[in-house]
Amino acid sequence: MPLRHRSSLLVLAAATTASALLLAGCTADGAGTSGGGSAPSTPVAGGTLTYATGFGEPTCLDPHVGGNMPQALLGTNVLESLFSQDAEGAIVPWLATGATPSADGLSWDVALRDDVSFTDGTPFDAAAVAANVAHMKDPATESSTAILALGKVTSVEVVDPTTARFVLTEPDSALLESLAQTWLAMESPAGLARGMEANCEDPIGTGPFVVDSWTKQDNVTLSRNDSYNSSPAGAAHEGPAYLSTIVWRFIPDPATRFAALQSGQVDVIDEMQPDNVVTAQDAAASGGQLGVLTGALPGASIRLELNSGYAPFDDERVRKAFIASADVNPGIESLFFGTVDRSYSVLSSSTPFGASFEDDYAIDTDRANQLLDEAGWTGRDSEGYRTKDGARLTVDFPISTNQSIPAEQSLFEQIQATTKDVGFDVELHPLDLSSWYASLAAWDFGVTSAIYTKNSPDVLRILYDSANIIPAPSGYHPNHSHVSIPELDALLTTAGETNDQAERADAYQKAQKILADGAYVLPLYDHLQKIGYSTRVQGLSLLPTLQLPYLADSWVQQ
Amino acid sequence: MSGVVGARRADARGWGPLLRGLLLRLAGAVFVLWAAATLTFFGLRLIPGDPAQALLGGPGSQASAEALAQVRAENGLDQPLILQYLAQLGRLATGDLGTSYAQKNSVLSIIGSQIGGTLLLAVLALAVAWLIALGLALWATRGGRIAAAVGSGLEIVAAAVPHFWLALVLVLIFSTTLRWLPAVSTSGPAGLVLPVLTLAIPLAGFLGQVIRESVLDALAAPFTLSARARGETENGIRWRHVLRHGALPGIALSGWAFGWLISGAVVVETVFARPGLGRTLLNAVQLRDVPLVVGVVLVVALGYVLVTVLTDGASRLADPRERAA
Repeated sequence: MPLRHRSSLLVLAAATTASALLLAGCTADGAGTSGGGSAPSTPVAGGTLTYATGFGEPTCLDPHVGGNMPQALLGTNVLESLFSQDAEGAIVPWLATGATPSADGLSWDVALRDDVSFTDGTPFDAAAVAANVAHMKDPATESSTAILALGKVTSVEVVDPTTARFVLTEPDSALLESLAQTWLAMESPAGLARGMEANCEDPIGTGPFVVDSWTKQDNVTLSRNDSYNSSPAGAAHEGPAYLSTIVWRFIPDPATRFAALQSGQVDVIDEMQPDNVVTAQDAAASGGQLGVLTGALPGASIRLELNSGYAPFDDERVRKAFIASADVNPGIESLFFGTVDRSYSVLSSSTPFGASFEDDYAIDTDRANQLLDEAGWTGRDSEGYRTKDGARLTVDFPISTNQSIPAEQSLFEQIQATTKDVGFDVELHPLDLSSWYASLAAWDFGVTSAIYTKNSPDVLRILYDSANIIPAPSGYHPNHSHVSIPELDALLTTAGETNDQAERADAYQKAQKILADGAYVLPLYDHLQKIGYSTRVQGLSLLPTLQLPYLADSWVQQ
Repeated sequence: MSGVVGARRADARGWGPLLRGLLLRLAGAVFVLWAAATLTFFGLRLIPGDPAQALLGGPGSQASAEALAQVRAENGLDQPLILQYLAQLGRLATGDLGTSYAQKNSVLSIIGSQIGGTLLLAVLALAVAWLIALGLALWATRGGRIAAAVGSGLEIVAAAVPHFWLALVLVLIFSTTLRWLPAVSTSGPAGLVLPVLTLAIPLAGFLGQVIRESVLDALAAPFTLSARARGETENGIRWRHVLRHGALPGIALSGWAFGWLISGAVVVETVFARPGLGRTLLNAVQLRDVPLVVGVVLVVALGYVLVTVLTDGASRLADPRERAA
């Protein structure tokens, strides 16, 4: 019986308190949302907004399939999740109204809204949740992100139409955070039943917009869902979106994307380059027509991963020498024009339980030289690089040109230059995505920089649990640093299983201290979502869960 | 009107040699297509990267062992490379381009939906390049030493600029600053102007150089002297006599230009966010989407063969010597 269950459920702590504050706190210009300036702020219904993305064009719009950032970006305005997060990362209800774990933590009863329908008319209920989880876990779906996030979930039982019971193999403190991600969004079971091809073209959700058409390599057109009634907590208004149409364009080149914004061809762009952010902010300061909205993508910070499994970084002294000589702060200041702050945390500033250890990353070339001497890298060759037994101190650095923006690649060149002073031969290898993944899979690197976006500190378990040194069948191993420390594994397991927030915080703090002390990782800065917009656009905000643009509150001044 | 010396011999040898020529040409075309498919296939499989991942959501996929084994078996990726190659060649021989790994769609239909934009771009760019090159050549050969130096300088600079740089400069001038033209493709013709200019300007530089050279040669040739002696006007000489000669190497170069334009389309379509084969190819290579890459390369190679035939035909029209051969 729905009522009984609902009354027995723990209503999440943050559920009622966080609402109005949610979508704020993610902006650089301090206005909360876009268009906080002099423009009149009465919403205008109707109109078209053109959004130009640099994240790339998905090959399938259903984020259950594969599961990458381009899918999540578009999906945020079409599909909705069981839960959402507030600006501090706390879980708040969305399509679910609450959730309560069993005493042993091996099942969660998730209470659902009973008044929401998918845009094809299919009601949203527990059977739909079960069908979605089954779809994500079905190998035929070819899911990568969702299936990993549901690793501890065996199945979903329909207790009654508004109660879905998640059955787990072991406790999972990150379950609700996982369910908040767009990659685990709820889609119409009738839509899923159409098969992969149809569902990839036009996934059917409960969101403020529906997919109208998709012209490959050009745009996806979204139109308003007029019966929309499931705004996330913190949305500026309830009910259907203001915009009648969104044209979602794919513009891979950052310079043309910004030029299209400047010349008024598009209204909103993402993946702005640092110099364009400065140009737009300068323009805004002098009364121009552009604004910038930024938010730190959750998960890991952008960081260098030192491959501790193989020479030369299997020696902790060599890792410490590298970190003590890799002077990144001047590069961050000059190359990023003050648009990013140096991070000393492995976790993004938007992810709870991040811990900074600035002292572990201090620059000290004398100490670096001493450490390398101690490690036996005492020789010098004709080019000034250190040698040991005739072998040069070479560190291969594969760089993904898809993931690292030009400013970042220049920063890596500066790291190459400063570490050369103490005798490191850092060899930069710019590679396309497939080649880069291949060199990672082969452990054919000394250091690399990889992005991992996840709205939970449980990302630490994915990246640094020794189990994740073992590659997935595709060859992918998230633990690039080859960190294998039983104590760290135990801490990350505890943190991942406990629902006691204090215990979780303590375990994550200790785990990050181990990573910093062992010099496995060099944090650089947050992975920033940098959205540029024309001041014609009002009410633009970022949905905190993955810091993705949310357009249901937006309108365009005519 | 031609000043070419030498009698035109009637072809008395019948259809035999013509047929043989045709067959030779056909065999050449098949060889080009086979070589293109083969080089592409092995090139793509010898660089790092796993095509099975294109099938499962792209590089870095965390697909299960079962899913990987399944797609490898379904697509024959578990076979030795040489067998995969022969199987692919067999399919290609029957005209089956296969299915894209990443887009899960027939390669033929993907190419069909993208080829129009690229062809339009290439044809317009070629036309505009010819206009610029001819105009520049005629002006530079007429205006004396300074015009010749300026013309030749412009041609060298135009031929040397990289597409991506030129594209961004044009965007900066005409979109960001002047706001005359859109920075990214639009449905109307305005969106074509900058992409076409980006492709046409460097090409005009190449064409202009060879056309100007041969225009100068033709202006110094005896038939020009005799035309002048007959009282032909300077314009008449240029349009009726010299241009025909001047255009010959340009026509020959246009076959090469087609291939060059397609490679330029990769850059231009990406910078201006235009749908087309170039962008399709770039994405497919990055994902190691073997059937799609091979399909696009084959279609481009076929286009190259056809254009070469067409330029041969055009040379024959412009040059009576070739008609006799």
